[in-house]
Amino acid sequence: MRSFTYVRATGVDEAIAEVSADPEAAFLAGGTTQVDLMKDEVFRPLKVVDITRLPLREVSGDDDTLIVGALTTMEELAAHDVVARRLPLVRQALLLGASPQLRHMATVGGNLLQRTRCRYFRDPSTACNKRDPGAGCAALDGFHRMHAVLGASSWCVATHASDVAVPLTALGASVRIRGQGAERMVPLTEFYRVPGETPQVENVLEHGEMITHLEIPLLPRGTRSGYLKVRDRASYEFALASVAAALLIDGGTIRAAHLALGGVGTVPWRVPRAEELLRGAAPDREVFAAAAEAALSGAVGLPGNGFKIELGRRAVVRMLSILSEES
Amino acid sequence: MDRAVVGEGVDRVDARVKVSGRAAYPTDHDPPDVAHAVLVQSTIAAGRVAALDTSAAEAAPGVLAVITHENAPELCAAQGEGGPVPPPPLQSDRIVHHGQTIAVVVAETFEQATEAARLVTVLYARAEPVVDIENPRAEHVRDPFGTDDATGDVDKALAEAPVRVERTYRTAANTNNPMGPFATVASWDGDELTVHDCTQGPSRTRSDLANVLKAPRDSVRVLAPYLGGGFGAGLRTWQHTVLAAVAARQVGRPVKLVLTRKQMFTSVGHRPDTRQTLRIGATRDGRITAIDHEAWQTLSIDDANYEHVSRCSLSGYASPNISARDVQIRLHVPSPGSMRAPGDAQGNFALESALDELAHELGMDPLELRLRNHADVHPVTGQRWSSNELRACYRTGAEKFGWSRRDPEPRSMRRGRTLVGYGMAGTSFFFYQASCAARITVTRDGQAVVGSAGMDLGTGTYTVMTQLAAELLGLPLGRVRVVLGDSSLPRAPSAGGSGLTGSMGSALHDARRNLIRSFLDLVRDDTDSPLRGADVDDVRVEDGRIVREDDGRGESYTEILTRHRQDELTAEGSAEAPKEDLPVVPTGPYAAKFAEVHVDEDLGTVRVARLVTAAHCGRVLNEKTARGQIVGGTVGGIGMALFEHTVTETRTGRIANGTFGDYLVAVNADIPDLEVHFVGGPDPTSPNGTKGCGELGVPGTPAAIANAVFHATGIRVRRLPITLEQLL
Repeated sequence: MRSFTYVRATGVDEAIAEVSADPEAAFLAGGTTQVDLMKDEVFRPLKVVDITRLPLREVSGDDDTLIVGALTTMEELAAHDVVARRLPLVRQALLLGASPQLRHMATVGGNLLQRTRCRYFRDPSTACNKRDPGAGCAALDGFHRMHAVLGASSWCVATHASDVAVPLTALGASVRIRGQGAERMVPLTEFYRVPGETPQVENVLEHGEMITHLEIPLLPRGTRSGYLKVRDRASYEFALASVAAALLIDGGTIRAAHLALGGVGTVPWRVPRAEELLRGAAPDREVFAAAAEAALSGAVGLPGNGFKIELGRRAVVRMLSILSEES
Repeated sequence: MDRAVVGEGVDRVDARVKVSGRAAYPTDHDPPDVAHAVLVQSTIAAGRVAALDTSAAEAAPGVLAVITHENAPELCAAQGEGGPVPPPPLQSDRIVHHGQTIAVVVAETFEQATEAARLVTVLYARAEPVVDIENPRAEHVRDPFGTDDATGDVDKALAEAPVRVERTYRTAANTNNPMGPFATVASWDGDELTVHDCTQGPSRTRSDLANVLKAPRDSVRVLAPYLGGGFGAGLRTWQHTVLAAVAARQVGRPVKLVLTRKQMFTSVGHRPDTRQTLRIGATRDGRITAIDHEAWQTLSIDDANYEHVSRCSLSGYASPNISARDVQIRLHVPSPGSMRAPGDAQGNFALESALDELAHELGMDPLELRLRNHADVHPVTGQRWSSNELRACYRTGAEKFGWSRRDPEPRSMRRGRTLVGYGMAGTSFFFYQASCAARITVTRDGQAVVGSAGMDLGTGTYTVMTQLAAELLGLPLGRVRVVLGDSSLPRAPSAGGSGLTGSMGSALHDARRNLIRSFLDLVRDDTDSPLRGADVDDVRVEDGRIVREDDGRGESYTEILTRHRQDELTAEGSAEAPKEDLPVVPTGPYAAKFAEVHVDEDLGTVRVARLVTAAHCGRVLNEKTARGQIVGGTVGGIGMALFEHTVTETRTGRIANGTFGDYLVAVNADIPDLEVHFVGGPDPTSPNGTKGCGELGVPGTPAAIANAVFHATGIRVRRLPITLEQLL
């Protein structure tokens, strides 16, 4: 690992100023991904600004919105009573991610910014456009079973690995971003960038900008929601496909629907078209199949990951079926 | 004695020292002035190093030396006593696998060495790697172990068989992945070398190191009293161990070399992948008339590895016509090695899957098919078994599992959208015992110290040898101390092949006999001793005393030593492998395994719901550690069946998933309650009646699971691991 300077931030604005002033500086929160990347020589900052002691760890809000400090840990958010009561899909996604040890370290803000698990990105001896723009993508004809079938390009097929970003995207959550300029709010659906020809750009954050809070709209009472994660082993693994969904069913009709997929996209994949199909329909297998078809619309498989297209469809149908059968 | 000390579920004698962090593993040794070595590994799989530039690395802070093939000492390609030694490192510019060590950087700190290793620049002359078992360019080595065997006329019997099954099965390469990263700490004192090493065989590592370094064997001492797991990875003397010794000599200081997790995938062996073709012929009433098994396995370019994959077909079933052949395919992959039940783990999957397919073809219960073709004698040699309770394993396992509740129709048992499947498999492991020596000292205060160079890789050797010595000497457990894992102690084979307990236990028997004889020699003319003139065969031991069988008179070790003004008496003993060509064939352990799996009908995910093992391991010295061995092996077997797969990229020869995040092992959530039932009695081959049990957990488990998956889904998966895309 390259030697680096360690600075403990004294305030949010000081931290932002410290990182903004130095193109080789980086924030450090829980570090559960970042320190690995530093050990693997993928990420080589010269200065690390530790923000873990900043006062961004409270959860507050009203009856419509939950406001979450970006340094809240995954375990803390999962244990929050509003999340347990009003956002089961968020709670489930948090608890199905990582391991208890990691969830006690990892922050929600850091989770949203976690880097892909693509082994080519994480091994500097291989070609990766995300790590080294223009170098090529070794995953395309390499081992890409875990890679994305939605939102990919010939520059990059790396999957976005976060679980909790999937329900947050489905719910229309936003991040509050602070930098040296004006504070801004960005919905997660606009926060992440598909790779296109610039896979090194993963989101709209500028260097030195920080996510300070997350704003999650609460689901209307009576809404059923959940997160389904399909993976090889029963715990401690990333998704081959995952689905976050919420349905408000009233009088045999779906009044409101939220749907997003994980494990299959280069970004958390919300599907407005599928939500439209569901809204106003009777909750039956036919409309679930149509929603699933819409959810995977445009998916492109490689030789090793084509199965994820059908797996993703089946996962959507299963998740929606579970929610509709709960009544 | 109030109660037996053998057979009981005695707690591990090393438990306290381990859980309190006082057990010193090889990585815990930091001699004064120790320097740190880090490997530089090839990023191509075939070709050669055209040019190396080490100047930046040499100039980096803290760097003491950079060793490459251009300045490494000449090393000797040794033929080992305990199996083939991997080729010595850094002897030429040739590259034969991705991840091959091409340089070692030694620095004051680990971080400095790691950063400097990054600065070594390499210009490669690339060749096209051959890394796929089916690549026609690969060299085939036929009958590599001289173990191919046959009886009868298989082709004729197959041609005439009313029912035939012919199938090809694949098993993936697996990596041992012990939790403790392998490490070596090497120190020279003049020409004397001391090495703390992650090895399963200190005696073997000592002789291999002496050979490779061209040093006298007595000048090398290897210590491994504790090991953070091995699963077979410690059965060969790997290049990093040699390099630590070379580096220590070069810099004139002790050197510590700890492999990274990623390097563990390329540096300490793996279970080779296989492609196996099984042809079985049978009569309509389920009598097997022919078994033909051709097993291909992968091998590295310039190494040898003993892994008899088709063995199970030579001894498994009572067929009059059998042919079993092994072929090794040389590829640009890292050196393989033993991993938990080497050979049998893969061979059993193919044979027991084919048996299941035959049972389905015949419309016969898979258990009934196995009972009908049980090998009452060795099917090829006709020898009687020294002991074989496989039938009892089937019976007990089936009963405990509730096999009779199985509806034979595939896809017939379901709960909602969960498909339920029952599957079973039988397995054996070969008998293995090797030449071993041990020493016992009894001191005047009535304590015993047992010493042997053999080691405890976590299986419980300290504990069972304490129990055995206590029984053999008539002492309570608390009065026996066992010292292991030091090559300066009496030589012992490696801890592997389910062989150490039998080997060391037999040596202990002999040492005990010699020790009692020494005590009796001491009192031969002692008129004060009730044992005067007694022969070793005339006495027994109890409560710290030697006692005459005829009149029950005797005296304690303490009394004898005190009266004769001796502090202690010591004796050594040894035992050899059983002779070959006996009328009875020494027979290893057996097991029957029964698995219940749940398969999600839509998503294809497979979870093991229950797994019952009934095992015949001969005499069980410690129920607790024996059960732990089989449970641990079964966890490995579940991993082999469903998760574990060392993926080598066809284009580059690079291992694509060499991390714990990407190479999946079973986690707690994947493991249901695992039942183990011991059946049958002692085996007469060794004086302790043991057969070994450590290797019994893996083989049979993948086949039982795959057979259960077929029963659940109607889909036959012939390629491990079984992943959900094969079931969608």
